[in-house]
Amino acid sequence: MASDPILPAREPGAAGSPGEDAGLLQELLEGWRNLTGLGAFTLITLATARLRFRENSRVVTPRIFGEIHRCGVRLLPLVGFLGVVLGLVFVGQTASLMEQIGAGNFTGTLMVTVFLREMVPMTAALVVLARVGTAAVIDLGTARALGEVEALEALGIDPIHYLVVPRVAGFAISVVSLSLYLLVVGLASGYAFAYARGLKASPIEFLTQVAGALHGLDFPLSALKTGIFGTLIGLVICYQGLARPLSLADVGAATTRTVAVCGVGCLMIDAAFIAVYLLL
Amino acid sequence: MRETDSAVVLETRGLEVATPAGVGGLRLGPVDWRVSSGELWVVAGPHGAGKTALLETLAGLIPAASGSVRVFGHPVQGSGDDETTLREARRRMGLVFDGNGRLLSALSVGENILLPWCYHRNAGPAEALTELEPLIRHLQLGSLLARNPASLGRSWSRRVALARCLALGPGLLLLDNPLAGLDAVHLRWWRGFLAEARAGHPILGGRPLAIVATTDAARPYLGMDPRFALADGGRWRILPGIDSVLSATGEDGTRNSG
Repeated sequence: MASDPILPAREPGAAGSPGEDAGLLQELLEGWRNLTGLGAFTLITLATARLRFRENSRVVTPRIFGEIHRCGVRLLPLVGFLGVVLGLVFVGQTASLMEQIGAGNFTGTLMVTVFLREMVPMTAALVVLARVGTAAVIDLGTARALGEVEALEALGIDPIHYLVVPRVAGFAISVVSLSLYLLVVGLASGYAFAYARGLKASPIEFLTQVAGALHGLDFPLSALKTGIFGTLIGLVICYQGLARPLSLADVGAATTRTVAVCGVGCLMIDAAFIAVYLLL
Repeated sequence: MRETDSAVVLETRGLEVATPAGVGGLRLGPVDWRVSSGELWVVAGPHGAGKTALLETLAGLIPAASGSVRVFGHPVQGSGDDETTLREARRRMGLVFDGNGRLLSALSVGENILLPWCYHRNAGPAEALTELEPLIRHLQLGSLLARNPASLGRSWSRRVALARCLALGPGLLLLDNPLAGLDAVHLRWWRGFLAEARAGHPILGGRPLAIVATTDAARPYLGMDPRFALADGGRWRILPGIDSVLSATGEDGTRNSG
């Protein structure tokens, strides 16, 4: 039911009033409904991907490559630029500073702990979310609002299989690949900056130091984390854009919700992985 | 499988058509109805009578409030309907939506037409184009394939939506207000198409299609010898002939529009 367009004036000092408590409760309930809805949507998507893995492959597989191109290949210049900047700002300055204070031996540990495990996955995920994710919500939300999803269903085409699975797969693969690319560019530019500022270690020595600080599970865990980031972003985008009836006026709000949910979700996943890293 | 000419294609029993989710309440029914191949049914009624909701219910896009729908024997609504039967039924029917036909805006006109064939046959666009080229030519869409759907007028969009439905060779066509707002050329084309589809055209596999078309005004169907039903005020009635429809829709001037 539509709410009354004429809102009553808020009285001063009304914070914590029964009306506001009810509003907060309603928001919490809405949040819970969103969470359970997203959970159900995730299960449906995973089940569809598994059960229909080989079906309609000549239509679905090119769509996965299309998504990888859109979320990954086309973002290479931007991510490369960010890699250079992060390399200068963090890797280069840190390596140079550690050398100056005589703690050069800890450079590798610092690089692995902060740069590889934290900065790179989160940066890649946020870039994909900001650059492609928001546009994808608008695309899907508009298609939903214009009834295109019903048109697909009427043609016997499963919207989850045709629209969601390729997007989620494309986002997951793209975030993993962009993270690796960002790591390489960041380390290279950082080393170049530190070398210019008087770092005595050769590139081989620098990389050996970083590699020495790596744990055997670092790369698999990083790949898993970035894959989960990408999967989460893809699922939230599709859930917000497709899973609920939308009007064109709702598309903007759905986009904002997507960014908020993905941001919080990635931070929570990151926190869970920190706990795993502490056990290593 | 080829259906015989007199085969019942669509059957509804006690169907109560609900409005789309969120609006609530019964809208139209009960609908007890049988549509056979080779028949052209025109469902007339004023705006808001539930004609679009009826078609979407027949296609399984919105749940029925009660009752059952079977298409080619496959349950679409009511007991026994599940994803598999619904998918099978949808492969054998085509729904052309009102307005611009809800073409997928992210695809070109050609991709829109080829998509269902590619998806269901697991084929590439080149194979699909070879297979569907006669249909595309028959619908005079060859020069539009590279265009964006947004650049088309409503008449051509609707024809593209029709081509998209026909690509799978359906036995039942559901058309939502197909003749509304057409200019004389397009109107003549659609009337000709409905006649040949109903009779069975080689381009459509030679078998007679069952066609259900909704309309606000019955007059464009004059001379086509369709069967009529009326949806009005939540009631469903089979009408005996065009005169009673014109009277019921006010097109004979005996009913006030207000």
